[in-house]
Amino acid sequence: MTMLRTLRPVFALFWGHDRRRLACGALLSLTTALAGIALLGLSGWFLAATALAGASVATALTFDVFMPSAGIRLLALGRTASRYGERLVTHDATLRVLALLREKLFRGWAQPDAAHALAHHPSRLLFRLTIDIDALDSLYLRVIVPALASAGAALALAAALAFVDPTLALVAGSVLLGVGLGLPFMAGQRAQAASRRRAHALEALRARTIDLVRGQADLAMANRLGAQLRAVTAADQRLGEADLALNRTETNVSFGLGILGTVLLSGMVVAGAVLAEQDVIGAPVAALCVLLTLAVLEPFAGLRRGAVEFGRTLLAAQRLGPRLSPTAPAPAAAPASAMPVQLDAVTLHHACSSRPVLSGISLTVAPGERVALIGVSGAGKSTLLAALAGDLAPTSGTVRTQPTSLLTQRTELFRDSVRGNLALADPDASDAAMLAALHAAGLDAVVAALPSGLDTRLGEGGAGLSAGQARRLALARLLLRNAPVWLLDEPTEGLDGDTARDVIARLASRAIGHSLVMATHTQREAALADRLIWLRDGTIAADCRRHDPDFSTLLATLRPD
Amino acid sequence: MTATEAATARVAPGAPGLHEAAQSHNPADKTTTVSPPPLRTAVALQVAAALIWLPQAALIAFAIGGIADGAPASAALLPAALILALGILRAALDRTGTRLAFASARTQLSRLRDRATEAVASRSPLDASRPSSGLVASTLAEQAEAIVPYLARFRPLRMKATIVPLVLLAAIAPLSWAAALVLLMAAPVIPVFMALIGWQAKAASERQLVEMSDMNAFLLDRLRGLATIRAFDAVDRTARQLYANAERLRVSTMVVLRIAFLSSAVLELFAALGVALVAVYVGFHYLGELNFGAWGAKLTLTQGLFILLLAPAFFEPLRDLSSVWHDRAAGEAGLDALARLADGGTRLVGALEAPAPSPSATPFSVATDTLSFHYGAPSHPVLDRLDLSIRPGEHVALMAHSGGGKSTLLALLAGLAPATAGTIRLGGTPLTPATAATLRAHIAWLGQPPHIFSGTLAGNIRLGRPGIGTPQLSRALATVQLEDVAARRGSAPIGESGAGLSGGEALRLALARAAAGPRPALILADEPTAHLDRETANDVIERLLAVASGTTLIVATHDPVLAARLDRIVTLPAIEVQP
Repeated sequence: MTMLRTLRPVFALFWGHDRRRLACGALLSLTTALAGIALLGLSGWFLAATALAGASVATALTFDVFMPSAGIRLLALGRTASRYGERLVTHDATLRVLALLREKLFRGWAQPDAAHALAHHPSRLLFRLTIDIDALDSLYLRVIVPALASAGAALALAAALAFVDPTLALVAGSVLLGVGLGLPFMAGQRAQAASRRRAHALEALRARTIDLVRGQADLAMANRLGAQLRAVTAADQRLGEADLALNRTETNVSFGLGILGTVLLSGMVVAGAVLAEQDVIGAPVAALCVLLTLAVLEPFAGLRRGAVEFGRTLLAAQRLGPRLSPTAPAPAAAPASAMPVQLDAVTLHHACSSRPVLSGISLTVAPGERVALIGVSGAGKSTLLAALAGDLAPTSGTVRTQPTSLLTQRTELFRDSVRGNLALADPDASDAAMLAALHAAGLDAVVAALPSGLDTRLGEGGAGLSAGQARRLALARLLLRNAPVWLLDEPTEGLDGDTARDVIARLASRAIGHSLVMATHTQREAALADRLIWLRDGTIAADCRRHDPDFSTLLATLRPD
Repeated sequence: MTATEAATARVAPGAPGLHEAAQSHNPADKTTTVSPPPLRTAVALQVAAALIWLPQAALIAFAIGGIADGAPASAALLPAALILALGILRAALDRTGTRLAFASARTQLSRLRDRATEAVASRSPLDASRPSSGLVASTLAEQAEAIVPYLARFRPLRMKATIVPLVLLAAIAPLSWAAALVLLMAAPVIPVFMALIGWQAKAASERQLVEMSDMNAFLLDRLRGLATIRAFDAVDRTARQLYANAERLRVSTMVVLRIAFLSSAVLELFAALGVALVAVYVGFHYLGELNFGAWGAKLTLTQGLFILLLAPAFFEPLRDLSSVWHDRAAGEAGLDALARLADGGTRLVGALEAPAPSPSATPFSVATDTLSFHYGAPSHPVLDRLDLSIRPGEHVALMAHSGGGKSTLLALLAGLAPATAGTIRLGGTPLTPATAATLRAHIAWLGQPPHIFSGTLAGNIRLGRPGIGTPQLSRALATVQLEDVAARRGSAPIGESGAGLSGGEALRLALARAAAGPRPALILADEPTAHLDRETANDVIERLLAVASGTTLIVATHDPVLAARLDRIVTLPAIEVQP
């Protein structure tokens, strides 16, 4: 079944991690349900039995009140205790699985193909990821636990009724199991389509809203602002329709379970009366049976929401499944390269395009050589850097490099301490090494002035530092890495002139002994290089060294600031 | 009515006042209305469904009492049939009530969302307090969703928790004041009980939600910097760090939950003890050991069972309410956030859109008369009594030092913000709220940087405008020389914010928008060659002039090469800042 195949990676994750705790949580939930059922059943029996016994003084005096009344009190306390335990254990187990889920997802997204897709649509994919994680979060608490508790309660009712009448037990048990679990299950499958429509509408709403705000001026001038507003409204309408469909499903399950409960209840009243007439049971047992039937429906109520949650979970499992599957082993490291960078006839296509982004690129970078890749954007500079960093695999040809260190175009820092951000480059670096790297990047004074120095925590994406400081921290990280090959993607883009010149000077003084490949648009960056490679339409259009006459001609084509 | 009830009751269809927050931002808005009729009906239906349990319980008790009295089995048939009929009615009422409440809440959400979107769309881009796209998206798409459970579930349940226990108590008390007293004691004073629930739910769910979102934030933060993490071979280390962090969060969350669940356990305990005490009391009453509590009479089995059956129903609404308590905080936060988006700010001049423009418009002349603009204090004007006159078809470069008001002037000419003083005439027509939309429809805009919409290249040029077919599209692509890029990209969607397009390509794409539509009467371009290398910049200049041939063009620029290619250079006067 496709559904089982979809859910397998998720179940495997849940089950493989901490099955005893998960089972324990479900068991406690069942215990809570059973205690509740038994409390009501026993109370009903006790009432009917005492009423009959109280009819005459003799029986009233001999009636053993101790066992049932102690039982009732015990069940009341036991139910509370097991409910408390259930909530603790199920939440603890959920949080444990969530920790694992996030780790697995991160590893999944770190695979080259996924990482590349993420880089192109970060906000859409991360938004989708958040929604899908939320859906999987509720799988255990909202779907699995109530389903198991309901099934257990139904079986327990059947077992209790079996002492009274096996046929009655069989009928009640099978109806309860079949309808009580079958209905939410079917509804869950049906809710999948609406869940999908809902997810798409929500994504559309979000994307259109972003376009509305960011493209407001463009839209207003194209006389399309009203149309965009209507597009947002249309996405909300679609979202609303999906919401209503899901609500219909939920209320239908609720309605079905209500009918099931009332059919069982009135059936049990008739069955009790018939069995009592045949003297199989007395009024106390009849009361017991009716009240057990009444109480057994309580755990099923949890499945009302569970049904819709199940639809969401299926969709989330479908989308996240590929990221959760055991990750393929990292491709065998390319044979150690004698030269820092060696490309042989490298051709590379993007996923959905027939035209190559790089075609037949052969390139060798010597030790200590500094290469600037120039050319209009779209010529293949970033793709070439990505191939060198191992982010993109060539369609044909070979890429061999010595260990590389990358300075991305957008400064990528993390919500962590300054130390944690630096440790990314070298987990074993000493404080002295970190401070030396910060000094080399011109950030030592800033860090020293921070309240907790190296242990100062940065916000999301490195928030708390200015753009220039963030760039310097990224530079310090690169220096700390000490890899033979540096890959720099427009290293001073977005910095003011003074900071940019300072960063370039520091790069120049520390680059001795390293090979350097840099994508750039500006003269100030390209001046670092002793070799310019002009890329055009994915091929090398010119390749010249500093002493070549063409070097200065090429340099002059770049942005002067 | 409590304060919160009053606040949410104001969220009614068509009611201009949204919420307390909206009121405080907008003191003119003081309309107060009651709950919308569908929601009131929905609540009434749900309460009625809950109360049907009263006759059902009576029938069950009656049937079992009959069995105890030795009545024939056939005597149970009628009660059983009635139980069934009432049960079906109860399920149907509940379904209708729940659906109505949901539909009403969902309609409410759409209305609030529309209002907020409209306010965002008409907010002037020059308004510095205009919310960022990220904030708008997360408010409209994520936070706003919390309004529905709050309105659809929390409020009906609160009504149920107020009415149902009281009615059940009123049904029990005439039979046995002692049983009623037991229930009252178990639920000491309902407000105290509710406060208890509120406290536990607040502590548990809010803290838990914060921790969970923290865990997500950590993951997203790391995923955003994936290129760096991969480049530093730190995937494995980061993954383990992510796990350790989540585990730490788990431990700290569990400390809070242990306490929070304890208070919810107290709630459970009261509910379970209430049922148990009622059962024990009635049992001992039957045995003659507790002869008080029934107004001097002795309870029958039917009466006792009836009381017992009502006992769990007495606590049920309270427990239901506690399970949705966290909907309230999230819902109210959502309402506040939407109200903030819908609130005020500087608006664009005129309507959002004009009726379809007549395709043939002669090039505009542009004239400003003592045009002034300032953002904050009037002592710091950006433009001060500017007089400008541009002939139809003239190509003009606007030059000024950085922050000299070039971009502001372009935005004012386009009616993207109202001028503080002075007038603007385009093609002789004064720019007013009445004419702005129609005038805008004849202006092409080249922003810095132009926004690249989600979708394909062709979609980005068409922008959904009618009358732009394949021929117009190819002609526009040819004019700006984007054919090869279009061929390379095909129908593949462009990455977010134009990822994968170079600065020059993005500008040429924006030019293609102008070239594809009916010929504009005026082109406004803001620093089209900034951040481009010389080769690309020269190329963009050629394309710009090709698109602008025969029409009026105003370019704000620093680029002397670009300025030299135009008919005239207008240098905006430096403004002396008054102390």
